[in-house]
Amino acid sequence: MKPRRCLRRPACSNWRRMTRMAQEYEVFLGCAIPSRFNNYEASMRVIADELDIELLDFDGASCCGTVVLKSIDELSWLSMSGRNIALAEKRGHDIVTPCNGCFGSLKDCDHVLHDNESERKKVNKILSEVGLEYEGEARIRHFVEVLYDLKDEIADRIVNPLDGLKIAFHPGCHLIRPSTVAGFDDPELPRKVDELLELTGARSIPWNLKLRCCGSPLLISSEEVATEILKEKMSNAIESGANCIVTNCPACHTQFDVQVLGLEDEDGNSLELPALFVTQVLGVAMGIDSSKLGFELNRVQLDPIADILGL
Amino acid sequence: MTEAWGTLKSFAGKTFETLDPEFTDRVSQLIGGQDLTACFQCAKCSAGCPVSDKVNVQIHEVMRMLVLGLPEVLDTDMIWLCTTCYTCQERCPQGIDITDILFGLKNMAFQRNKAPQGYVSSRQQLYDTGKLYQPTDWEREDLGLEEVPHLELDETKKMFEKTGLLKLEEDD
Repeated sequence: MKPRRCLRRPACSNWRRMTRMAQEYEVFLGCAIPSRFNNYEASMRVIADELDIELLDFDGASCCGTVVLKSIDELSWLSMSGRNIALAEKRGHDIVTPCNGCFGSLKDCDHVLHDNESERKKVNKILSEVGLEYEGEARIRHFVEVLYDLKDEIADRIVNPLDGLKIAFHPGCHLIRPSTVAGFDDPELPRKVDELLELTGARSIPWNLKLRCCGSPLLISSEEVATEILKEKMSNAIESGANCIVTNCPACHTQFDVQVLGLEDEDGNSLELPALFVTQVLGVAMGIDSSKLGFELNRVQLDPIADILGL
Repeated sequence: MTEAWGTLKSFAGKTFETLDPEFTDRVSQLIGGQDLTACFQCAKCSAGCPVSDKVNVQIHEVMRMLVLGLPEVLDTDMIWLCTTCYTCQERCPQGIDITDILFGLKNMAFQRNKAPQGYVSSRQQLYDTGKLYQPTDWEREDLGLEEVPHLELDETKKMFEKTGLLKLEEDD
């Protein structure tokens, strides 16, 4: 485990204590998951429960600001993300999020505020208005990072092997890039979440456009270009022999499970592919009751893989 | 080729009246900014860019426009069609934080009223509600999920008053 960055380290007395308490986090849900993908939250919570990961409520959480606010005004973005970090820090907790957008935004903000003294001063002046201060003590993690730490426990709990599931896994950009900020997996050849998925007996297939952006951030500026990118991705996933696409990000999932509906290639072939969250795949393989995993909220029909999933 | 954004569609026949060294300097001072002459135009950024084939002006051309001090860069479609995937930044052999620089350029374009409408309405939404989207409560109830924790809007609004979020445009 990489040591968390702490402005006070090595004088910080909390540092050692908090790395030992690694299985308790405030869970940062963001906006997209409670709005569109409550099945992701439900499946995350039931898995966390199985693995004794304690998810505490993130009182007072706002939007992370994400790339939207960063595009509009960086000081407002740093303040918004910085406030969320400072809230968890004040309560002495680390942060976990199941969203790549929130992960990227919070980590990126943390990176800037840690390294850039002039930005940190500006932001702390604004945070002082609401009684907060950023010191850089809260660690920010993606839920799949926490799961990867527990991969041996997960392997022991697989009771329902998913043989025949051919997954086009899409890690999403902000889980791995920029690697100096994300610090989770190889930015050009990620394998950690694939390893988790393959614990279930499923296969994470190679596909050329795996690391290509899903196009979702462009829905706000040009749905036309976002859809062109989505078509390229889906065609490649289907050509590569996948029978489902799996993500760990609600923004990417918006493309794969909402925007894709009714989408066809030039020859009129459907570009839909069952779209699942990492937590749903792991949950079903761990024998968790499928009603708790929220499959009824997946928009693209799951029929082609229903037998494999035991639905 | 999309017609979605930007008035600068092509370099063909275009004459640039001024080369503005102050603009280059301002960009160098952005978060992620640095000595922009480090870019030697290998175009590795554009080679990995998911919208290279969908924009009029590619990302390596944007980088050159910055060195040349051309504020017209804010009129290119690359500014708002960047997906923020960070592939260019990850691969730049000179270690230039290309995507982060592009965020700073978006800020500049926003201040000059050169932003897609979606960003303008998202700004208002973030100010008014502190969020981009609201929870779908019936789904949460069906799945036995608790209510999303409460956000005290006064706090985020107070911060945005300080940052001037609703008054970014230079004309204001």
